[in-house]
Amino acid sequence: MLRDRLLSPYQHGVSRVHGWSPGRKLGAALVGVVLVVLLPRGAWAAYAATAFGLLAVALAARLDLRQLGLRVLLVEPFVIGIALLALLRPGGLPVFLSIVAKSTLCLVIMVLLTATTRFSDLLGVLWRVRVPTLLVTTLALMYRYLFVLLAESERMQRARRSRTFVPSRTGAWRGGAEVAGLLFVRASERAERVYLAMCARGWKS
Amino acid sequence: MHIPDGFLDLRTAATAAVLAGAGLAFALRDVRRRLPARRVPLIGLAAAFVFAAQMINFPVAAGTSGHLIGAALVTVLLGPGPAVVAMTAVLLLQSLMFADGGITALGANVLNLAVIAPAVAALVYALVRRLAGSGQRSMLIAAGCAAWCSTLAAALACAAQLAASGIVPWTTVLPAMGAVHMVIGLAEAVITMLVLAVVVRARPDILEGMDSVEGRRRAMAAYCAAAGIALVVFVAPFASSMPDGLEHVAERLGFASHASQTLSPGFAPLPDYSVEALGGDSVWLSTVIAGGIGTLVVFGIAWWLARALTARVPPGRH
Amino acid sequence: MRPGLEELSLLAVGRLSYSYPDGHPALREISFSLDAGERVALIGPNGAGKSTLLLHLNGLLPDRPAAAPAVTVDGLAVGAENLGEVRRRVGLLFQDPDDQLFCPTVWEDVAFGPQQLGVAEPRLSELVGESLGRVGLRGFEQRLPHHLSRGEKRRVCLAGLLACDARLLVLDEPTSDLDPRGRRELMGLLTALPVGQLIATHDLEFVVETCPRVIVLDGGRIVADGPTLELLDDEPLMLAHGLERPHILRHRHPH
Repeated sequence: MLRDRLLSPYQHGVSRVHGWSPGRKLGAALVGVVLVVLLPRGAWAAYAATAFGLLAVALAARLDLRQLGLRVLLVEPFVIGIALLALLRPGGLPVFLSIVAKSTLCLVIMVLLTATTRFSDLLGVLWRVRVPTLLVTTLALMYRYLFVLLAESERMQRARRSRTFVPSRTGAWRGGAEVAGLLFVRASERAERVYLAMCARGWKS
Repeated sequence: MHIPDGFLDLRTAATAAVLAGAGLAFALRDVRRRLPARRVPLIGLAAAFVFAAQMINFPVAAGTSGHLIGAALVTVLLGPGPAVVAMTAVLLLQSLMFADGGITALGANVLNLAVIAPAVAALVYALVRRLAGSGQRSMLIAAGCAAWCSTLAAALACAAQLAASGIVPWTTVLPAMGAVHMVIGLAEAVITMLVLAVVVRARPDILEGMDSVEGRRRAMAAYCAAAGIALVVFVAPFASSMPDGLEHVAERLGFASHASQTLSPGFAPLPDYSVEALGGDSVWLSTVIAGGIGTLVVFGIAWWLARALTARVPPGRH
Repeated sequence: MRPGLEELSLLAVGRLSYSYPDGHPALREISFSLDAGERVALIGPNGAGKSTLLLHLNGLLPDRPAAAPAVTVDGLAVGAENLGEVRRRVGLLFQDPDDQLFCPTVWEDVAFGPQQLGVAEPRLSELVGESLGRVGLRGFEQRLPHHLSRGEKRRVCLAGLLACDARLLVLDEPTSDLDPRGRRELMGLLTALPVGQLIATHDLEFVVETCPRVIVLDGGRIVADGPTLELLDDEPLMLAHGLERPHILRHRHPH
């Protein structure tokens, strides 16, 4: 499903880039983002050089460029939207362009990272650098049950749509709220069962 | 409201990150000490819930739809500590996996949506609950007000961060973001109240999250302090750069040139003074008045909606 | 139950009773035992208390451990002091594999139990590989749970239990909502495993094909405990307890 593909940025592959340790990839991505943010405004040569460098990485990792482009395009409108605020200042056009360029480059770095690294590997890195266990457990459980809840939400919305003969906005809001409310109730009941399952497998909190 | 990379200067991003880290550390410690073990997986599931719920469409006008943010909702359901952790997880996921929110801006985004929003929501909820009494109706009203205030607070903090980075003059962005999010906050309040009504109807026992916090004034005070400090830290730089921002506005609007025509060069300081008197006070005043009116309006709407939701016909009829 | 049987049996339950928090009685004086290597089915109508009983076998219920534990596993009384060890020896397979498969990848989920027990690399990865191999899922280490079929998820859960060297497997409706192939694969798996098994199920055909002994639970009480063919062929008994004679016995030819 399109939604599923959007939610799974990882592109499985065998390449030098895929083979790097996730810690190294995360570190490189962070350093890259910081460096780009530090670039001065209007440093167009530097921006172009970075862009070519990132393209080289994408090619080395043998990634599907169209998918990468799609991911970047998804977020780009928000970048441009906020950047438009810069135009409110006189002489803001170069500022606007620089911001859009830098922001997009950072976007591409993160998209490359997630295309070559599994989320569970990133979690492993976070745990190793001593991010608090409670947060890592929360991230892991969230990631695991995200898709389950999305599927439940979809089923409930579909069922609702099947029984809606006269569409109306208030109906849609009430329906949306009911789906969300039931989703929470089911999620909290599932949390209880997951707790039991974790205890059954020897988890000590 | 997710700030991408490249918008915030390093100073703002770092300050926000430090504040966010402090808020998160406090919340983690609070959860570790007070939350019973069997509720720990609930934080993860709640984070997944927030993410999934944010995708539900609430149609507004032809084609566009609104979405739940969820910070206030999860604060009322779980309590502020767990809410901070859950929202942080959501933001981390969005930033790392979907580039929705930059990595360097993560500190600011976490500060706004995962620390300030739950803190303000908890505070407003506790206050309104105390004023409106016990019972389901007052719970819904309190939640609605909490949702509106937390949305506005997060938006103002975001605007302040953007202005502090020199992207956009604060005189433009603060009122603009404020006004827009007063409306967005309204939608958030309505959705939050509707969802809560469903949850409480299905599982009345589920709402121990915030209600059990009522007595814990110490945690409340700490969260308020955190939220307050964060807001102050970002507004204070403007107090010092106020003349700059205002002069800018003044130049564009023609005040400054007018002032320099009427006064001799000897009275150089006066143009600034008169600009401040004209621009400064009225901007602040109008913002404060707008905020006050907004609060009253929201309270009224929340009251009406809560009545509608709780004045149910006997069970059996939908 | 004969005194002294606790030491000999793999599982011994003696006069176990339990009431829900609202006071409604769920289990009344349940007594039975199970030997190593035995495969026993637990059947009964919905609401009979099967799932509640299963949760007692690894100490998840009662919430507050009783003074005199009614359940003994492998010689250990299921009480507050032994919970960790009991949970290692009793592998509970939950009805909804999504509840049990709570880690982001298959590898991590199978490794969860052993990690709690202190197993470290490189033995850990070996163990995960072996366990997945035993359930026919070799190579599934990096798969994401939500991409697996229900049958595959169940088998991953099973692998997780086997990785901890469980002596007794307790399964809650393992064949529910499996397609015929998944069901056959699971049946083959369970019959090949030498560990003792207690299987709560509605799938009576499955019971006939895999379990030599069956316990019938109704209204929180054990109403019958004996050889499968004998009990399941007893139509009045089956109908009296919300069950029925399985087709496989109805159309049995004498050879």
